[in-house]
Amino acid sequence: MQLKALTLTNFKNYESQTLEFSTKVNGLVGKNGTGKTNLLDAIYYLCMCKSYFGMPDSAIARHEQDFFRSEGHFYKEEEEFKVVAKVRLRKKKELECNDVPYSKLSEHIGLLPVVVIAPDDTRLATEGSEHRRRFANEILSQLDREYLKHLIHYNKVLAQRNAALKKMAAEGRHDDALLEVYETQLLPGAIYIYEKRQQLMQDFLPIFTKTYAAISEEREVVTCAYKSALHNKSMEQLFAESRTKDKFLQRTTTGIHRDDLVFSVNEKPVRRFASQGQLKSFILALKLAQFELFRQEKGSSPILLLDDIFDKLDESRVEQLIQLLSKDTFGQVFITDAHKHRLAELLAQANLDHKMFLVDDGKVEILD
Amino acid sequence: MNFSSKLIEDSVNAFASLPGIGKKTALRLTLHLLSMPPEISEGLCEPVLKMRKEIQFCATCNNISDTVVCSICSNTARDQSVICVVESIRDIMAIENTNQYRGLFHVLGGVISPIEGVGPGDLNIESLMDRVKAGTSKEIIMAISPTIDGDTTIFYLSKQLEAFDVKVTTLARGISFGGELEYADELTLGRSIAARRLYEE
Repeated sequence: MQLKALTLTNFKNYESQTLEFSTKVNGLVGKNGTGKTNLLDAIYYLCMCKSYFGMPDSAIARHEQDFFRSEGHFYKEEEEFKVVAKVRLRKKKELECNDVPYSKLSEHIGLLPVVVIAPDDTRLATEGSEHRRRFANEILSQLDREYLKHLIHYNKVLAQRNAALKKMAAEGRHDDALLEVYETQLLPGAIYIYEKRQQLMQDFLPIFTKTYAAISEEREVVTCAYKSALHNKSMEQLFAESRTKDKFLQRTTTGIHRDDLVFSVNEKPVRRFASQGQLKSFILALKLAQFELFRQEKGSSPILLLDDIFDKLDESRVEQLIQLLSKDTFGQVFITDAHKHRLAELLAQANLDHKMFLVDDGKVEILD
Repeated sequence: MNFSSKLIEDSVNAFASLPGIGKKTALRLTLHLLSMPPEISEGLCEPVLKMRKEIQFCATCNNISDTVVCSICSNTARDQSVICVVESIRDIMAIENTNQYRGLFHVLGGVISPIEGVGPGDLNIESLMDRVKAGTSKEIIMAISPTIDGDTTIFYLSKQLEAFDVKVTTLARGISFGGELEYADELTLGRSIAARRLYEE
């Protein structure tokens, strides 16, 4: 999978910009705040229909503009996919593939597999469970369209059940029949998502431990385990048992929206016991394992977006990473760095076929 | 827009408050009425006022009606044993226009959506249960949109109806007339395959 050309209009600080990329490594250099990460986000947007950094559409449109557009020419072997995202604020967002608009954005997810490694990723280990669920969802929704459909449906019904609990509390009148109806509607999705997550962890764990061993100098044992209330009880049972608690707290306290991934090093939680170095290796290994899983399942390498990796990774890990990139398992890669020469030197040293771009306040020029 | 007359301005604003009518169209309508004899304006306002003052909602099914009980409910030639449950009055008109249905109706007034502040208590569900309790009904048809909230509503109603000896049915979901198979979405096509019918039927 390769992105050959990208055209942006009003995307963040890009008023109008067309770029042609190398099918191997693309280095984006320039000072902080000039728009390097925005380019990566524009690519991610074409693959996943949203910003990787959680930016709302209204914040993506350039200052005082009410629309933005991103157009990418992707190639899978010889086949071209022209993907266009057109977003007018306060209107439904539109996505087209080869000039045919999608009626549902979810139909597009998974066509262009993508993996991002960004400085913020450490929160996967250090912050709340929603980041880890998002990680699992991001993987599964790109591998399995049914998963995404179930997830969207589950979340909509869940929002209604929570709203119903609040409304009932406000009116002081509980309607168990309605709660039961919502539970019945949540059930198939919950079971499907649970089974898929369980399956994912089985496939993911061996790849992950192998990747970690490859990038870490020490020999610690790392694991990544799936934690869910559904391990011990059926979803029906869980809903029935927590209904009283749900009414009191006015939200649904059990279900797959409470699942978590437990990360550990030498059987101790990463969050509290891992060193800074172990933490960095752990996160990097998670992302590279995601890459490898996509490569195996999809039969081709996903696009890899590396944002500011020098910021959080020390030099030796970056070198290792660049070494890994020179293997033929990697396809197209985009790397951003604030230092113009550091990245160019590393890429030249590793003898990687690459193209360098200098980003300066929403303008991009090619460096020789 | 600047008007030399406050009267014109008020009329324009009144028209523009209607759905689908903007300021320009409102001005066009106002000026048109002004160019016609006053009787035309009276002829326009009178039926609207009369409609608004005198219209009633059927005591049985909540359909719009000129009398306490609407013309559908009071028509003894219609099948009294079937009730078709719909979201709004517009759905009754749509179903009536098919000339395929000879039973009665029941207007819910929406679907269950707590996010929008609509719970079961805000819909005409109790009056439906009262009708079923009366015992003349044999079948309840759920003619409700196949959305998530629509499904919730159908589900909720069918639970409430479990206690009674009535058949609960829903509209068939499938390929539309004149539609082409390749353009049908997977879910619809999948359902149509699963619920296929003998050709002779």
